[in-house]
Amino acid sequence: MAFGFRRPFQPKGENRFIINLGERERAVVRAVCEDLLSALDDPVAQPLLRRLYPVAHAEDAEIDAAYQEMVHGDLVTSRRTVLERVVATVDDTDLDREAIDAWMIGLNTVRLVLGTRLDVSEDGQPELEPDDPEVVAWAVYEFLGGIVESIVRSLMSTL
Amino acid sequence: MRLSTQPARLSDAPVNVRDPDIDETLDIDRPWIVLVWNDPINLMSYVTFVLQKVFGYSREKAEAMMLEVHNNGRSVVSNGTKEKAELDVFRLHEHGLWATMQQD
Repeated sequence: MAFGFRRPFQPKGENRFIINLGERERAVVRAVCEDLLSALDDPVAQPLLRRLYPVAHAEDAEIDAAYQEMVHGDLVTSRRTVLERVVATVDDTDLDREAIDAWMIGLNTVRLVLGTRLDVSEDGQPELEPDDPEVVAWAVYEFLGGIVESIVRSLMSTL
Repeated sequence: MRLSTQPARLSDAPVNVRDPDIDETLDIDRPWIVLVWNDPINLMSYVTFVLQKVFGYSREKAEAMMLEVHNNGRSVVSNGTKEKAELDVFRLHEHGLWATMQQD
């Protein structure tokens, strides 16, 4: 979809989805997933990953701490599984439903982390100077938003 | 809260005894609700689809819940036992939604 004329994801029958992404776009997808995979176990990166482990019991910190301890490992495993699935299928020309679901969740997870780093608010993207160091991160964030949106649309059309 | 898996029976309730556990015992019967909260990152279409996928809701129902989250800041998306609520919250967290649970 180098010029944006084609939809990046299109359903083909009930269980297949065609991916129209160029090599550079796939390289971005691979890079962000590999980045996050290595950050999952990195203690230094944990503050940036806080959106991946939300509070479940907002009314009771003690109960929430017990809940977090109970599920944390499962949530990390779940993230690793989908991100590894994206990396394993990043060069494929079509995906089955399970793989496209992993792309949707995995790339949305990356958006959560990037959005945390960029301190995204309801106001959307701030005015940036062309030489602002965050220009690239914002571009990737918007790109991933387009990908997730396209996946959701194609999945919805098959329900 | 008591982490007992046994539901409270009527006969378990103490009679004429001021026991600090009374309220907690009765609490077990109160259903839990699962809430999804507004956040600036997740896309509206994504939230709608996740509600359809996780709960099997129709497009219309999921969209109405998503709009409630968007406009009012939160929406009750499911309810039931504590165990069910915990599973629902876990699945919503797997998908990156901001979900919490509490007793109704």
